[in-house]
Amino acid sequence: MCGISAVALLLCFISAQCGSPDASRLVEHTAQSFRDAVLSGKTSFIYFGKHVNPAIKAFIEQLEMSAHALEDYGIVVGKVNCSKDSVEKYCTGEEVMKKTYLFRGADVLRSFDIDTVFDVNAIVSHVLFSVLFTEVRYVHTPAELLAVERAAKGKMDIVMGHIQVLGLPEHRALMEAAFVYGAKYQFVQTTGAPLLKHLGVADPTSVQARLWFLHCRGVAHRSEPCPHTLMRKPLTTINIHTFLQLMEAPLLTEAAVDPDEVKVVYNHLNVPLLFLFTQSETLQLDRDTAESVARRLRGEVGVVLIHRDSHRVKTPLKHNAAYRLPQEEVRYFSLKKVEELIDLFREQLFQGTEEEEEEEEEEEEEEQDDRWSSLDVLDDEVAESVYRDRGVMLDTEAVTKLTAETFSAAVTQNGLMVVLFYVKWDAVCVAFLQSYVEVDDALDDVSGIELAYVDCGEWTVVCSDQNITSFPSVLLYRPSEVPQRYRGMLGTGSLHRFLLLSQVPSPTSLSSSAEVLSFLEGDLYNTNSALSPVRVLGLYSPADTDVVVFEEAAKSLRGETLLGLFVHEEAERWAEEHSVTLPALLVSRGPGILREAHSLHSSTPQELISYIQSTTLDPFPELTVENLPWYLELEKPLLLLFVGAEESTETDQSLKEIQKAQSTRQLDSSLPCWIHLGRTPAGRSVLEAYLGFVPPLPALVLSQLATGGEVFHFPPERPLLAGTIVQWLKRIDDGQEQPAGVVSDAVWGPPVPFYDFLAVMDEEAPGYAAQRSPKTKPGGKRGSERGQERNPAGRGETETAFNPQTPPAHTEL
Amino acid sequence: MELVLAFLCLLSFISLVLSVPGHHHGDNSTHHHDYCVLGAGPAGLQMGYFLSRSQRDYIILERNAGPGSFFQKYPRHRKLISINKIYTGRQNKEFNLRHDWNSLLSDRPDLLFQRVSRDLYPEADTYPLYLSMFESELGLKVKYRTDVGRIRASDLAGNKSYILTDQHGTDYKCRVLLVSTGLWVPEQVDFVGSDLVEGYESVSTDPEEYKDQAVLILGKGNSAFETAQSILGRASRIHLYSPSPVRLAWQTHYVGDLRAVNNELLDTYQLKSLDGLVEGGLEDIAIVRRRREEGKMRTGKKRPATSSDRKEQFYLTLSELLDGHDGNKGANITAENLPGYHDDNFSLRQPYDRVIRCLGFRFNFTIFDGLARLPHSTCARGRLPAVTAWYEGRGTSNLFILGTAAHSRDYRTSAGGFIHGFRYTVRAVHKVLEQRYHNNAWPATRLSTSQLLSWILKRVNEASGPYQMFGVLGDIILLQGAHCEYLEEFPVQALPHFSALSGRRISEHGLLVVVMQYGLNHTNTLGPGRAESEWTKAWKSNFLHPVIYYYPTLPTEKDMRQRPVGWPLPRPNAVHHMVEDFLTEWDQPISHSQPLRRFLEYCLKTDLRAFYAESCFRLSLTNHKPPLFCRQGYLNKEGFVGNSHLWQHAREAGLMPAHQGSVIPADDGLFSEYLPHAGAAVTSTIDFDL
Repeated sequence: MCGISAVALLLCFISAQCGSPDASRLVEHTAQSFRDAVLSGKTSFIYFGKHVNPAIKAFIEQLEMSAHALEDYGIVVGKVNCSKDSVEKYCTGEEVMKKTYLFRGADVLRSFDIDTVFDVNAIVSHVLFSVLFTEVRYVHTPAELLAVERAAKGKMDIVMGHIQVLGLPEHRALMEAAFVYGAKYQFVQTTGAPLLKHLGVADPTSVQARLWFLHCRGVAHRSEPCPHTLMRKPLTTINIHTFLQLMEAPLLTEAAVDPDEVKVVYNHLNVPLLFLFTQSETLQLDRDTAESVARRLRGEVGVVLIHRDSHRVKTPLKHNAAYRLPQEEVRYFSLKKVEELIDLFREQLFQGTEEEEEEEEEEEEEEQDDRWSSLDVLDDEVAESVYRDRGVMLDTEAVTKLTAETFSAAVTQNGLMVVLFYVKWDAVCVAFLQSYVEVDDALDDVSGIELAYVDCGEWTVVCSDQNITSFPSVLLYRPSEVPQRYRGMLGTGSLHRFLLLSQVPSPTSLSSSAEVLSFLEGDLYNTNSALSPVRVLGLYSPADTDVVVFEEAAKSLRGETLLGLFVHEEAERWAEEHSVTLPALLVSRGPGILREAHSLHSSTPQELISYIQSTTLDPFPELTVENLPWYLELEKPLLLLFVGAEESTETDQSLKEIQKAQSTRQLDSSLPCWIHLGRTPAGRSVLEAYLGFVPPLPALVLSQLATGGEVFHFPPERPLLAGTIVQWLKRIDDGQEQPAGVVSDAVWGPPVPFYDFLAVMDEEAPGYAAQRSPKTKPGGKRGSERGQERNPAGRGETETAFNPQTPPAHTEL
Repeated sequence: MELVLAFLCLLSFISLVLSVPGHHHGDNSTHHHDYCVLGAGPAGLQMGYFLSRSQRDYIILERNAGPGSFFQKYPRHRKLISINKIYTGRQNKEFNLRHDWNSLLSDRPDLLFQRVSRDLYPEADTYPLYLSMFESELGLKVKYRTDVGRIRASDLAGNKSYILTDQHGTDYKCRVLLVSTGLWVPEQVDFVGSDLVEGYESVSTDPEEYKDQAVLILGKGNSAFETAQSILGRASRIHLYSPSPVRLAWQTHYVGDLRAVNNELLDTYQLKSLDGLVEGGLEDIAIVRRRREEGKMRTGKKRPATSSDRKEQFYLTLSELLDGHDGNKGANITAENLPGYHDDNFSLRQPYDRVIRCLGFRFNFTIFDGLARLPHSTCARGRLPAVTAWYEGRGTSNLFILGTAAHSRDYRTSAGGFIHGFRYTVRAVHKVLEQRYHNNAWPATRLSTSQLLSWILKRVNEASGPYQMFGVLGDIILLQGAHCEYLEEFPVQALPHFSALSGRRISEHGLLVVVMQYGLNHTNTLGPGRAESEWTKAWKSNFLHPVIYYYPTLPTEKDMRQRPVGWPLPRPNAVHHMVEDFLTEWDQPISHSQPLRRFLEYCLKTDLRAFYAESCFRLSLTNHKPPLFCRQGYLNKEGFVGNSHLWQHAREAGLMPAHQGSVIPADDGLFSEYLPHAGAAVTSTIDFDL
């Protein structure tokens, strides 16, 4: 239905003379007829004027023309002569009125300065753009386009127009197409250069209006990009129409008749046709070739694959291809390379667009050249930053450098010996060495901790003796204890805090209730309170033998968490106070904060470690670079509030609302958390990746990272209240909310194309890398004694030739 | 497994008893061992060390009174040409073995050859000294003065065991026989007059005895040149004659070819100082004796012959010219019998005072009887026994050939015939034994895949085994997704039998093989363009460089047979050459590390780049499955944080978003930008009082 009417409408444009040309469609309103028109609910575009000067006169002419054009879109164009009929609000003001208004019913959709809507094209394009405001997406950055693409994948294709200046005929053509095809395709308009780069245009400044078709409907996998086709003709209504028809047509048509008889949609569209011939033996191969040709010529040429096996095909065998330009005869030719075909169409048959093509081809060539030279650019952020630092010598003098000779003495001395094992060819090691030196600096005045490092490239035996299979590795040595591997973030802050906390014995044995209180309130080891406000206390009755499990677990958690142990008759009382039974775990998050208590069930040290770790997690954490892995392990959808760097009451309020919702236990299916974009700037990139843009902050997002991968954005216009959040989550559960974005499920493959040595060998030295054929005797080539051919007295053929008349010609080297 | 071995031993013993009824069984002069090592040379002692370390029942049998008796006599001129480089500028023990060609492998860091000699080319007497030290300090079980004259095999259901009989008739029954007898039988070629020739093994080493003598040396190897070099200042004329032209070790990269240490004669030849090299076959020549006066026209006046006149001289001629003469008779040699008569400018027309044979040595095949008989290898004129890729005799299961005698696998290509090469193949054979007889799989290091790049770089920068045994021993990496297993120094020719030999499985992810290789050698060794510096042209590297092969499945025997000419391995699915390096340090980010990383990325089909924790944070929140480095590091709570200085570089390089890493400075202490992690909960600036 829509298609037919669209064609009719467009044909109407083509003839350009639907109806009588003379009759002006411009309605001259009186005050009364204006009111009636507005009340009718129709869309109308009205100019209010008083005096007529030459400029206004010219505009009125254009307005008259536009009345004719816009009629087809159901938009009535009119004018009100304010000097005759004064309409309040619109007729007041200056002498010469320079405004036009677009009404939908009584509402003003937009007003335009007549300088903006200077001619018929500008009027039509601006009016249609305003009318289609919700349907045509205006995008500026690649991220915004990607967001549109994401939403369209698997659903509909996208038509994207790049318009340099609004109001020109190209803009009008795009808007007219959008009006007609808006229900079928997602229309996107852009004026920005960044997107052109994104679509592979090298020099965005030189580019005129362009149109791309993004084939999103067929994309099943959301990590795949939508392939796109560029319209290679000027942006006119008829060209766009033809182009969109071509995009709809099958990529490759197959036929079993001679080219003359082939009837395809292309015939009506005045598009050249290319015919390729095939027979059943080579069908699959030919089909692949034809498809690849068709893909490259998509939008310009229709490709038909003709099955020669049919008796109706009489084309002689010497031709394997043919083409037909619109309104011309079929021309046969025989083709050797696919490239020839592309050349034929691009360079010879489409003379008009040649210039542009050349430009693009050059670009491609350049790309080819650049491809490998760019391989010498480091694309690893760590390797590159270390490489950029190559002129700087790191001052590692303060840190002890251990050798095979000094190692064993160093790690058995008193106190805590921290050893970094590194290799100099690993960028992460070299980079971490900087942090390691920083930690050493920071621990200068702390006694009992010494830092050292071993170069495993030189002292390979030391490192293999310590079973180092990963670089960098940090091991902690204490006298007569098994070395402890540091399993935290490799960063200055994390290691520094870990080493300071490691100084506290784990577990800390507490002997009285007073000590327990002091431990929990943070008075004991108060210097460490800033490092770790969380304290965990094990409560055991003196008879319980499971206390060793706790001790074992505490040893492993040394440096990570402050752990106390209270084995005492009074432990019972502490347990009762917190309404748990012994053995139990008390978790304190700082003075004045309600302590949590958990009963312990007998388990292995490993299970207890995980349990303790899980109890110390914050129920409503601020996600940071350092703590995210702990929370991702929970594998729950993240109910994530992004808050800005600036303090604001709105932020505080939003955080409180989420806590409120959380306290009702209605958020249990997800992990409520927040990211402070000031402290964690990477959060901005996360938000942008989720939504395609950065919305006003604070922004609430539900990221189903582990489940499904969809991202929902809490509507910013809705108030962020506990109740609305819960409602919103319920609507998401019920499938009533549209995802605003997705978490990429793309596989992290090789970031650059593979440099294939075998292919290079095959090209430069054919046979060098080829397996021998079974006939040639193996091993015959190696170790052949080259001298033997010239050996007269030696073997075989020369031997018989030897006689006294032809004495041996002994050769010198 | 020990039990199985013992049981098999027992069975074989019984079968022996049955098959040899006349044998004195019950005789207390029969010894039983799981492993018998024949010969206490470097290879035998090396194997002894590995057997002793794994606490196996073994014995080393040696006919002489001390170890390494070959070196008591050879090289005749007493200078070893194996490099003993003590000062390498490096402390890495493994790396230093690349330049120590004499030491044997052990876990004693001080048991190196440099303890007995500081010379770059050491005195030969120091070698037996070193071996004695090695044997005694490690307490190896060697039985000296045991001359095994006969080796027989008993075969029970295809499983062979061996009986060795010594000069006293004592029998040694061995489950596994490891033959490390070396090559010591002088190679001789049968031609007319070959009995007139002195041998390298017995020729005088006193230069004064060669004063003003013309000397013909048969052979152009190191022993020939060594002999020539020692008499260069005394002899009048030295000619070297053999079928093939001289192959220079510094051109062929094969240490068995002529070493520059011995090549002074090339100088005197090329500067026309009366010495020379000639090519010609050996089988059809004849050495004939002729007195000086013979053939002279008798003038009637008979002058008393002077001693010098009387002296016999030797002529090189061809057997065909002798017309059925037996050259040995000597008396009737006429001018027609000599080539100079027919060809007036024949190179070797002048007589010689001495002819010396320096043709090298061959394996002693004679002691192997019956089922124990060893087939000859096709290479090296049959001087070596034929062995499998894992050095087991062909057709003699449970009998392995070690040391120089096992050189047929890499004759004239790699270092398997030399101490600095076979010490590694012996180690490889020991690993095969451990798997086959004791079910101990080939040792492997388990690595995170994100650590693989670093580990390969570590190996190519220090490993001595693949460096010395280039193209023969290679590291095998079994890819297993997130992890991989790294096996060192596997004999790559045995890849088709990898699973049986190593006891390890290949997963569907395939495997990588890291070998060192010399290049095509098509250019002038010292000419321009001899070295490649562009990594994209690394496959044209001429010098030793690492090459990594990727196979999704194990190559078959057929693939191996049909491998491209000159390649150590069949055509893989993908190959990576690491460009040769002047300093042999393959650790540079752009030329070595990144290209290798990209190759691994291709083989593993994954991104192997490293990321800062903050990038991992972003990628972990926006990707279902972030890059491997983030998964194995960051998400494992061991992310790499970095510092603002480094982030600045990454941002400037455009590899990190501009706003990332630019933390707003806070005022709470030293490391304000690092918030406490979850284990330490969160100190929020926002007040949560509800």
